[in-house]
Amino acid sequence: MSTYTICVFTENSIGLLNKITVIFTRRRINIDSLTVSETERKGISRFTIVIKHEKREEVEKLVRQTRKIVEVLAVFGYLNDDIVYNEIALFKIATPLGSKPLDVDTINRVYKAWVVYWGLDYVAIQKTGTEVEIFDFFKYLKPYGIIEFVRSGRVAVGKTPQGLVEYLPEDMEWEYYL
Amino acid sequence: MSKIAEIMEEPVIASVSPAPEIGTVPKMLSGGQALMESLLAEGVDTIFGYPGGAIMPIYDALYDYTDRIRHVLVRHEQGASHAAEGYARSSGRVGVCMATSGPGATNLVTGIADAIIDCTPMVAITGQVASHLLGTDAFQETDVIGITTPICKWNYQIIDPDEIPEILAKAFFIAQAGKPGPVLIDITKDAQTKLMSKKFEYKKVEKLAGYHPRRVPKIEQVEKAAEMINNAKRPYILFGHGVLISEAVKEFQAFVEKTDIPCASTLLGLSGMPIDHPNYMGWLGMHGMYAPNVMTDECDVLIAIGMRFDDRVTGDAELFAKQARIIHIEIDPAEIEKIKKTEAPVVGDIKEVLNLLMPLVKKGDYTAWKNEFRKLEPEEKLKVTDRDLGGSDQIKMAEVVKMVSDKTKGEACVVVDVGQHQMVAARYYQFKKPHSYIASGGLGTMGFAIPAALGAKMGAPDRNVIAFIGDGCFQMTIQELGTIAQSGLAVKLIILNNNFLGMVRQWQQLFFDKRYSFVELQNPDFITIARGFGIDGHKCTERESLEESIDKMLNHQGSYLLEVVVEKEENVFPMVPAGRSVSEIRLE
Repeated sequence: MSTYTICVFTENSIGLLNKITVIFTRRRINIDSLTVSETERKGISRFTIVIKHEKREEVEKLVRQTRKIVEVLAVFGYLNDDIVYNEIALFKIATPLGSKPLDVDTINRVYKAWVVYWGLDYVAIQKTGTEVEIFDFFKYLKPYGIIEFVRSGRVAVGKTPQGLVEYLPEDMEWEYYL
Repeated sequence: MSKIAEIMEEPVIASVSPAPEIGTVPKMLSGGQALMESLLAEGVDTIFGYPGGAIMPIYDALYDYTDRIRHVLVRHEQGASHAAEGYARSSGRVGVCMATSGPGATNLVTGIADAIIDCTPMVAITGQVASHLLGTDAFQETDVIGITTPICKWNYQIIDPDEIPEILAKAFFIAQAGKPGPVLIDITKDAQTKLMSKKFEYKKVEKLAGYHPRRVPKIEQVEKAAEMINNAKRPYILFGHGVLISEAVKEFQAFVEKTDIPCASTLLGLSGMPIDHPNYMGWLGMHGMYAPNVMTDECDVLIAIGMRFDDRVTGDAELFAKQARIIHIEIDPAEIEKIKKTEAPVVGDIKEVLNLLMPLVKKGDYTAWKNEFRKLEPEEKLKVTDRDLGGSDQIKMAEVVKMVSDKTKGEACVVVDVGQHQMVAARYYQFKKPHSYIASGGLGTMGFAIPAALGAKMGAPDRNVIAFIGDGCFQMTIQELGTIAQSGLAVKLIILNNNFLGMVRQWQQLFFDKRYSFVELQNPDFITIARGFGIDGHKCTERESLEESIDKMLNHQGSYLLEVVVEKEENVFPMVPAGRSVSEIRLE
């Protein structure tokens, strides 16, 4: 099983998420994480979809099929080595009176995480990192009592000198890679 | 009551006259009128449809356009989508169908799914509840966009009449460009009624940012393919529907003649090459011909043109032509290496590719190689053809098809339904003209033929349209006999009646120990039913009267139903069992 990060650039229109995900559903591929946001180019959205798959060829077929959607402008598939990627997680930790105090110094220095909100009897801590780093931190915090934990989808940029939007159709002339 | 609802109920808007009078301030068009103008701008002359609540403003607008747009009132929306397919397949133009929201739209679904898998250009227009009711479970509200997303090339919901010209232009472009397919446009009732806020202007779309398929291939891909073709010892061409869709029949024939390479077609490629052409070896696939199937194991270079290695063609795809180097000429990049590893992909329109390839290829000497195909023919003739064409007390399906073929000189446009008769028609009709085999290939939709035959006749009014239909299939869209009768056109329908769901019965016999589970039918009196609809017909049960029966049908003015009672438990051979290698082909 390898992890693949698929970056999909699309026009920003209603129903597009559905049009993309049905292609994954048909091939029975589970989406591990999904992030959507507008890119530096107006009206163009960027989907970052993370999946696990055994066969590279199957992922390539998926990429080609996704590319067929009319509103999809470009699709790029990556292995982890080809990208810089991160996720963000929020932890809500109980801090009732008399409980073991949080070691904020370790949290900051060792885990590079920050307390972003102090409640009366809880704190919210933000941690940015890879899945592995976030779960390391999770293990560290567990004894304190995690009331709530949430992790975002992955965001990623390719390890290439150019930005991916440069591959998008400018004057609508757009190269297929085949 | 909301603002929108008020507007909707105002009767004045729905009956604005379509053409502004000279010298007056031009009136703005309503959404419904804008739709009609858009269809006219795309050259649409025929719509297959069925009215209902959420599409009434469009039908009201249509009322003023009936001199320019012919509307065919089907009896069930499935018929509308299949008729649109038949129209598109015989004419090469976009088939248009129309239905109301909810059940009307869901009834279109089968035809839309059929169109996407067989690459048929179609624009389906559905009415939708008013925009302020969307998502409220309103009467006859269905999420049609959600339902049709996986089976449409593109779909879009219009809630503002101003969008209509632009979206329709996009729809017609997408339906036809690259690999054709269905597009669904869902229009809310208020968008049909409301007036546009600007003057109607229609600009045809020529390309889109996200979709402008490559028509002209990369030259290095063409050169690589030419080099492989020129160095081949035993090259073999498999061609599919793409040759017909791209209108490349002439170019393809010239290519085959120049290189002298033997070729075979897929089921939907049938009629892309005249059957008596010396390089044409027949068609291949699960029930295809013997030589074309087994020779896929013998060729050294396989040239796949406008086909997609469907599992009904390849059987076990791993084993299919595994010794061969493959050239795949195809317009859709997603088809490349979807099934078979390809050494030379050429992405482009078939006609453009062949034009570029033509000067680069040389004539080879493949006489011995072609003879290897021909050498297999006597065995097939003995074991399959001779048996299919006689040797039984009862009439055989093949005899009927063969006789119709002879009497129409192979020039009719043949529409078939799905099952044994579909395969028999493919085997025994001697196609001379392109676009002459209209079948539901990819989806295998029973009930396709009656509406598709009507659509085909409308798309090609000068052609003799003959449909071969099984007794099971006939009953799936039997109500469209009414549509045919009302159209006043001449469509010839032939039921090959074996009182069985024959193909399923054949599989049960061969693979399920003859456990005939729910395949025998108690059929109605088809001729009485046809007469009830106003279509004349008669039943033929004896071989002696077959010829006379066929003559009677062919000479009849107007539509006609001929029911032929054929052998009950006939099997279709050759057969490559599902998922097996073509080398395991059975002739008996």
